[in-house]
Amino acid sequence: MKFTSRHTAAAIGVTLAAATLTGCTEEVGGGGPAAAAGACDPADITLVGQVRNESNPYEAAWLDGGDTFAEQVGLTQQRLTYDGDSTRQQEQISQLLAGDTECLVMNVLPNGDSDTPPIVEGAEEAGAYLVTQWNKPADLNVTDYDHWLSHITYDGVESGRQIGDALAEAIGGSGGVIALQGVLDTGAAKDRFAGFEESLAANPEVELLDDQTANFSRAEALEVTKTLLTKHGEDIEGIWAANDDMALGALEALEQAGRTDVAVVGIDAVPDALTAIEEGTMTATVSSDGPWQGGIGLAIGYCVATGELAVEDIADEDRAWFAEQFLIDQDNVADFVSPEITESDFACDNLFSRSQGAMS
Amino acid sequence: MTSPADADLEVVHARRPRPRRGVSLRDAGPPVALVVVFGIFAALSPGFRTLSNVQNVLDAAAVLTVVTCGITFVLMMGSIDLSAPGIMGASAIAVALLVANNRNDNDYGLLGVVLAVLLGAGLGCLSGLALVTLKVPSFMTTLGISAVGLGVATLMFAGVQPNVSDRMLAGLAVERFLGLAHLTWIAFACVLVGWLVQRYSRLGRYAFAIGGAEEVLALSGVRVAPYKVAVFTMAGAFYGLAGVMVTSQLGAGLVQAGRGYDFSAIAAAVVGGTLLIGGRGGILHSAVGVLLVTVLTNGLVQVGVSPYWQGGVQGLIVVAAVAAAVIPQRRRNQVTK
Repeated sequence: MKFTSRHTAAAIGVTLAAATLTGCTEEVGGGGPAAAAGACDPADITLVGQVRNESNPYEAAWLDGGDTFAEQVGLTQQRLTYDGDSTRQQEQISQLLAGDTECLVMNVLPNGDSDTPPIVEGAEEAGAYLVTQWNKPADLNVTDYDHWLSHITYDGVESGRQIGDALAEAIGGSGGVIALQGVLDTGAAKDRFAGFEESLAANPEVELLDDQTANFSRAEALEVTKTLLTKHGEDIEGIWAANDDMALGALEALEQAGRTDVAVVGIDAVPDALTAIEEGTMTATVSSDGPWQGGIGLAIGYCVATGELAVEDIADEDRAWFAEQFLIDQDNVADFVSPEITESDFACDNLFSRSQGAMS
Repeated sequence: MTSPADADLEVVHARRPRPRRGVSLRDAGPPVALVVVFGIFAALSPGFRTLSNVQNVLDAAAVLTVVTCGITFVLMMGSIDLSAPGIMGASAIAVALLVANNRNDNDYGLLGVVLAVLLGAGLGCLSGLALVTLKVPSFMTTLGISAVGLGVATLMFAGVQPNVSDRMLAGLAVERFLGLAHLTWIAFACVLVGWLVQRYSRLGRYAFAIGGAEEVLALSGVRVAPYKVAVFTMAGAFYGLAGVMVTSQLGAGLVQAGRGYDFSAIAAAVVGGTLLIGGRGGILHSAVGVLLVTVLTNGLVQVGVSPYWQGGVQGLIVVAAVAAAVIPQRRRNQVTK
């Protein structure tokens, strides 16, 4: 018995190994040279979009944008989420890279700065085309790699300042405001608050009464705002929040306190914030345009994979760049409530049209 | 303390009052800590000692109180419960989808709230069943149920956040009775119900006994398993209600409605004098613990401690408060794990 089963197992193992080997050889023979020239048949391209989770409206919109682009070129996007878990993100990436990588295009939102290097190294080794967004360590240079095509991010200082200025304008240029910061040890929270401080310096009549953290969370923002409202009372004329979730929490706190005279600003342009701006309860937010982010990463990879764009032809300042963001207030909110994806945004000769300059 | 000679002489008279005094001293620690912390903040900050801020503290404590009511019974049994985030998330999304909202045409009002609480109770029951039938430790079953709850919530969420337009549910957080939000009165009611269950029902007394000496109870012919399942079911119902309350406060159903409440509630219960090994503590202890934690969060903001310092300062004060509170319980040969 023992022997037979062992023999059977060995036989199966050998057969499997042989099958796999043949498979590999065939692939290398077929796909190898084509990929080296950057000329995948469009139909062979696999498009993958990876974000933290779909329960976040912004990231869900991101993946929807990826679907729109995929449809545009007659493909489907594989939607991956990793629940904000770095280990799971790495596992998903290694699984992808263990498969057929010759014509693989990945548009990835790394969980944190430190998650980017292993993803980049993996893609480079496997020959998959990679675009990353938001997070990368400052000393990791995209130009050192051939398959890491581009890194797109947004200037947090700029967005923090934009909503700071909008807030100052809404309260008539003078008065007391409070600030709700994000998770204090993240770059986004730091940059956005630095931008707000710039705005405060430019509007000397606006006084920052208090700044507290609500960790980017709606529930925490509700509690912190309630406490600050009892602390400062009528002195508060405006609330600056480092993201929309906190701004929405602050709005609930204002409603519960019966205050309607306080201006609230946030960042991210989540659907609820847009509704609040439409209704006039919220003043302004900043949009990075999630659907565009979901599409553009795939578009860059697609254009390089098909050979319409060569990596060497991408200018150095387009390898790591700040994309354009939009201040949304009551005047233009209608344009953003149902965002339309313009096909020309993803044309191979128009990929970098939203660049605001290289990442500093 | 007393010389051996005295003890010999007054065996009967001296022994009787002693355990009682021990109990009262042991119970006095956390309330004393609460009064001291409250007094310090009141002295430091004029904003803290206003009536409106006291109302604010009570309002802010409402959700954590309800979660802690549930977790206290589980801790009394000597089990642990990490399922709050998942159950709260599932019930938050469920209630948001069942009352008038922007996603569908449902408008079940109070029935929707009851269904969401039942969903919580059902998930809690699953934890309990997995514990007693599969003999999986409660740490793991509840962690698993939490993931299941979050999964259910994410499925129901389906990419679009449900916003509540139901007047009744939204009104619970906004409308006030005697200066406190309706949610705060709900929390008071939960404490009362929890206390009655703990004091007068067989379920409550057996929960204590299970935590104290489960084997003894089992050997004396009590079937322990049904009570364990019942305790987890009741805890689930409390989490379900807490999820409904968060939804009322935020005006929207969030998958992350319960994030962090598992450990906050365990911390509050322990700060209040409920022991993790079971058999000691109770609802009123936990309520004091919740107030202590909430006063701390509120007071640090009122006093104006920089946000960069708050996390660390808060942690230190909690450890100090627990240490102070357990001084009367310290016995020479007690082992702390």
